[in-house]
Amino acid sequence: MSRSTLNRTVLATTGLLLAVGGALVLFGGLDLYSRLHLHPPTWWPLTSPHQPVVSTTSRTRWADRSWWWPAVIAALSLTVLAAAAWLAGQLRRSGPGTVHLPELRVRSRALEDVIETRTIELPEVSRVRTRLTGTPHSLRLHTTLHLHPDAAPAPALAAYRDGPLSDARTTLGRPDLESVIRLHLAGARRPTHSRRHLD
Amino acid sequence: MTPDQADDPPQDPPARPPVQPADGSLSSTPPEPASGGHRPRSARTGVTGLVVLAVLVVAAGLLWDVVAVRTGHQARRWRAEAAHQVAVRELSDTWVLVGAGAAVVVGAGLVWLAFAAGLRRWLPLGVGDGTAAVDRAGVAAVIRGRAHELPEVTAATVKVRQARTTVTIRGTADPAAVQRELREELAQVPLARPHRLDVRTHRADR
Repeated sequence: MSRSTLNRTVLATTGLLLAVGGALVLFGGLDLYSRLHLHPPTWWPLTSPHQPVVSTTSRTRWADRSWWWPAVIAALSLTVLAAAAWLAGQLRRSGPGTVHLPELRVRSRALEDVIETRTIELPEVSRVRTRLTGTPHSLRLHTTLHLHPDAAPAPALAAYRDGPLSDARTTLGRPDLESVIRLHLAGARRPTHSRRHLD
Repeated sequence: MTPDQADDPPQDPPARPPVQPADGSLSSTPPEPASGGHRPRSARTGVTGLVVLAVLVVAAGLLWDVVAVRTGHQARRWRAEAAHQVAVRELSDTWVLVGAGAAVVVGAGLVWLAFAAGLRRWLPLGVGDGTAAVDRAGVAAVIRGRAHELPEVTAATVKVRQARTTVTIRGTADPAAVQRELREELAQVPLARPHRLDVRTHRADR
């Protein structure tokens, strides 16, 4: 699962739990069931505006069962572990640390440096940053390109693709290396008030 | 200059530059066709970080206290107080309703964030394989720079949105001519999806 999918799943799950819980309390608290003539099934929670949010009875319903406390502690521990694992995952470098070429192993950082050096040599490019991400089997090359003012975007992109990107694919022996480009254009460097009056 | 740069494309290449075969041995598989310039999707790292931190704090606090009680200590004040509050407050209590309303709003917001693409700063580019996007502010700066270059345009406000750009100009210039010029400038950016550009005159100048 990609990082984006995982994050979006976390957000959707948390959001749904909050929204459904809040909606149940609102429906019961505002007595919307009787006002809207709805008849929830008997097991439906929180139906009367005069019942407590979580009564002592329901909070301690299973407290005397032997499985209850181990289950609570296990669920909480799993939640804590999962959250800690997610946070630890943010500290790691995203993507492989080294890449295997046919004859040797190369540190990803070294490869990124080479691609950046080759890219900054292009006349249109003023600043570049690359990141190799993904798994060793499906690599992705993220590139942020800043162009000089007055550089035309399409030729600049073509120069990057046919130069550094194509070379990286050849070097890695991966013609399918996925490329993700973020392009920053610079406005013209002329002062905004110098206008040519062509009368 | 390296050999690769020597054959840079000419000044006005076709919208989709031909992709060179990558290398002799593996060139039998052509690179993926253009992905149609779908919108880039945000990884949502920041807001997920906040949610995960909140979950971690609540779950770790509860776990600590539950284990303390199981090992023969007293429950902490905050947990006893929280259990007491939810047991005595009725559903129609104002604070309960406010809390529930806030939970619905925050929850709906999180669900929205989970499904919306995000990255609204970026416009997809339709060039070759892979994905590419250009920042809207940069496109606006380029259009603004070109507009200021035109004769009889004294000021220009440029708003670039996902599917259309609106330019409001001041001055005595003919909006139709300015619009032609600026559309030409915008055509230099190989956007993946149709993008309108309209020029308006500032109301006070009419």
